[in-house]
Amino acid sequence: MPAPLAECMRRPTVSHLAPAGTVLAAIVVWVGLAAPAQALTTAAITPSLSPDRLGAKAALTFTISYAGGQFGVPSPVRRSVLRFPTGLSLDIPHLSSCAAAHLRARGASGCPAQSALGSGHALVEAHAGSQTITEDVAMRAFLGPPQNLRPTMEILVRGYTPLDERMVLTGTVLPDRAPYGEELVMSIPPIPTLPLEPDASIVSFTLTIGAARPRTDGANTLLTPPSCPVGGFPFAAEFTYADGSRGTALAEAPCPL
Amino acid sequence: MKPKIRILLVALVACTLLIVAAVAWATETLTVHASFNPDRLGAPTNVSVTGKFASTTGGLPSPITHITAYLPAGVEIDARGAGTCIAAKLEQLGPSGCPADSRVGFGGGEGLIELAKETIREPYTLDFFFGPRENGHLAVLAYVKASSPAAFELVLVAKEFHAPKPYGLGFAIAVPPIATLPEASNASVESAFLTFGSTNVAYYKTVHGKKKLLHVRGVVVPKTCPPDGFAIRATVDFEDGTTLTVDPTVPCPHH
Repeated sequence: MPAPLAECMRRPTVSHLAPAGTVLAAIVVWVGLAAPAQALTTAAITPSLSPDRLGAKAALTFTISYAGGQFGVPSPVRRSVLRFPTGLSLDIPHLSSCAAAHLRARGASGCPAQSALGSGHALVEAHAGSQTITEDVAMRAFLGPPQNLRPTMEILVRGYTPLDERMVLTGTVLPDRAPYGEELVMSIPPIPTLPLEPDASIVSFTLTIGAARPRTDGANTLLTPPSCPVGGFPFAAEFTYADGSRGTALAEAPCPL
Repeated sequence: MKPKIRILLVALVACTLLIVAAVAWATETLTVHASFNPDRLGAPTNVSVTGKFASTTGGLPSPITHITAYLPAGVEIDARGAGTCIAAKLEQLGPSGCPADSRVGFGGGEGLIELAKETIREPYTLDFFFGPRENGHLAVLAYVKASSPAAFELVLVAKEFHAPKPYGLGFAIAVPPIATLPEASNASVESAFLTFGSTNVAYYKTVHGKKKLLHVRGVVVPKTCPPDGFAIRATVDFEDGTTLTVDPTVPCPHH
């Protein structure tokens, strides 16, 4: 309705309701100010070693859970740094690697079996329209080509429905400060959904590297540290989110009994 | 004529003149941008549209009563493999009442409400689903939801029709008055964004006892492109009786 006509017809009612309108406007402003505080994304990490034995071939299962964010969907992670305890090391019998381009083009079958490091799964979410859309994705980790003599890891992420997509994440293993031995630094590209809709976010991520009893001779695995510090093996993570915020998470894996 | 009646008559004439003037001056404007992504001839695509309404009177744009959209000739909507959603279930249960494979698009935007001379912005979301065909024509259900400051949900039905050349498919959608808060104006639309289809939508279906990944083609770009690009037209009718027509074009794909 055009404004002059509206004023002609509604003036008495509108002036009667002015205080209610002011209160409503105040509530709207207050809600608007309160909203960002609820939108903070948080993360928790859960590492576990199997078998829980010192100086042994083992599998490390690393779980990251994200929470919070607008509409209950965490802000997408753009960078993660995962810190591992001193002494935890990769056992790589054959230096066989798989490049990210290979993985993108041919999938996991395009990589040498001896470059396999582990596997896992993740849950990815995006808020589109009024709904939160979720997708389960499978992950396969491979040893990538060394960068500046440092080991790298390529993770093939593959989801089928509702969107049939694949992407490759690349991480670099770097030396870290005590009580940590090495850190895995990963840049996570945006996960596009649909034009005009927000990128997807990782809600949970579980990756198992190595195996206590490798299925094949010469398979890559993990070696647990020869000793355990008081309080357990320290793990830590730092995350940078797409909204510009940062977060950290700490956890210990208990020492073997 | 008694003075009291004369004053009333003058006031009535003044108000009538204002009404006439308001109708004459009230002009809604709409800026539209449409694109195909990817923009490849004959390929499944995503159609995304953004629109921004304004009023030249400086007030709120008048509420929308009807939208008619004309798509370029040759655009196909291939719904094979997609499910259908029943409007009654969508009204009753919201999007969770629709099969996941009936979803065809998303969207949202900002609405405007006038209350106590204050303009209040109201974000809203849009979810689109394939509805059951009517007389062989496609129907798309639009689920509109807003939460704050006024909470409302409504289901609109976009009905397909054969549009005249140079267009192909057309969709017509009636929009009822959207009451929001007591004493507030009906909701107007300030901005909207819509996204339909995708290149990589896939669902599992059990075929002969085996789980099979099925890709939905959805919206398909025409196989040829006219010299001036793909022509689109949208006609919007407003509550104040005015009608607005916009003719955006989507450029031809680069070779």
